[in-house]
Amino acid sequence: MKITLFHYFIRQATANILENRLVHLIGIGTMSIAFLIFYAFILIFVNINHWTETQGKTLTMSIYFKEEPDSAVIENIKKELFLFPGVTIKQFISKDDAMKSLRRKLGEKAGLLDGFKQNPLPASLEITLSRDKDGDNLPYQLKTRLEEITVVDEVQYTQEWIKRVQVIMEAIKIVGIIFGGLLFLAALFIITNTIKLTIYSRKEEIEILKLVGATNLFVKLPFMIEGSIQGLLGGAVALFILFLAYIIAITKIDISIGFASLHIVFLSPQTILFLLLMSVIIGFIGSTISVGRFFRL
Amino acid sequence: MIQLFQLYKNFGSKNPALLDINLTVKKGEFVFITGPSGAGKTTLLKIIFCAERPTSGNALVDGRNLNRIKDRDLSLLRRSIGVVFQDFKLLPRRNVFENVALTLEIIGFPLSMIRKKVHQTLRYLSLTNKEGYYPPQLSGGEQQRVAIARAIVNNPLILLADEPTGNLDPDLTIEIMALLQEIHIRGTTVLVATHSQELLKDTTRRIVTLNKGRIA
Repeated sequence: MKITLFHYFIRQATANILENRLVHLIGIGTMSIAFLIFYAFILIFVNINHWTETQGKTLTMSIYFKEEPDSAVIENIKKELFLFPGVTIKQFISKDDAMKSLRRKLGEKAGLLDGFKQNPLPASLEITLSRDKDGDNLPYQLKTRLEEITVVDEVQYTQEWIKRVQVIMEAIKIVGIIFGGLLFLAALFIITNTIKLTIYSRKEEIEILKLVGATNLFVKLPFMIEGSIQGLLGGAVALFILFLAYIIAITKIDISIGFASLHIVFLSPQTILFLLLMSVIIGFIGSTISVGRFFRL
Repeated sequence: MIQLFQLYKNFGSKNPALLDINLTVKKGEFVFITGPSGAGKTTLLKIIFCAERPTSGNALVDGRNLNRIKDRDLSLLRRSIGVVFQDFKLLPRRNVFENVALTLEIIGFPLSMIRKKVHQTLRYLSLTNKEGYYPPQLSGGEQQRVAIARAIVNNPLILLADEPTGNLDPDLTIEIMALLQEIHIRGTTVLVATHSQELLKDTTRRIVTLNKGRIA
């Protein structure tokens, strides 16, 4: 395409947006809400997926003690643990360490713990188990064996959680596809109608353009670019709002699933690019539908 | 340049707008199409630049059969025909320069060439000082000249002017007609539709009279 024509199309598309800015603002606003809901869904999905993947790679197990064990007891348990393949001792957390950690997490609300005369938190030993093909039964065998030791109160491990979360993930996937599809249609509907309004406001201009020798494509392209820009802006606004919400979430909320803390991640640059591209494509399809209908009239 | 054979045009069940039109306009000719209001002058011009299709008969413009012309060729044909519309059909949201540049932008001329050609044309029509004005800010005569500028900026083979002096006072009428004559001298085939007998009074040009859709 010649540079002059490309320049013309971009100029026309931006002029259309500026001239019909109220219609476009409403369109972009509504569309970004639709996109935001969809993107939030994706962010939740990405985070749960990320959590199950990281937890699944090395399985974490916590062995809670009835009383604060002395070093001899710990050494005996360590010996017992080394009988199992793939076990790595991470750390021993004493009752005091557990209390300090909890106080740190509670921050300003740590004063709530002052009411306890005795430290209610158990001492624990954290270990990790590397996953291998025969590894599925190993945590269960280990848990059973460790709980037979009299000083051990309880053994918890992440795999139980992962299995539960994976079932939820499947459900989220299905709901996400249905929901995403509906939101896609909603965004398409919004763009189609916004572009339709701008086409009608420029009906006379289109007629004149055709009479002085413009091809259909020449008349249509600025509207298609206009729809694509609208889609891009809708997507960008939605991502910006989502990012702000993410910043608030990571600074204000400490999310824990069971005993495993959830580290919230944002969408990867590739996913962001993909979502922006998707919104441009939705914009392009929506406006193409609009101009297609108009030129059939 | 223009050949019309047994051309008919009907709009619904009303009386035909054009009946059995046979007309040949040679390259470089200047022709007046005249007749009272409703005689079919505008319809005839519309058929020539394909804003309307004939109901029956054949129309050939610059060797192209308008009955069988494809969309792509239609755009190309319109680029070789300059049209001055009765109601000017200027874009109110574009200034004089942009209105005139439109024809060249459509073709995809480079920006520098567009500037050069538009400035030349505006100078020719004494509109240089108006290039930043918008159509609603111009007088009827100025708008008419802008419409002519847009029609001729691409040096068309054919210039069609529909009542080009319809809304103008006698002085401006003389000015516009002189402009059309000049454009004709440059080699353009010119067809002017007018109901004004005043315009035709002293002309030596060919006159085609339409009455109730027929050539009288």
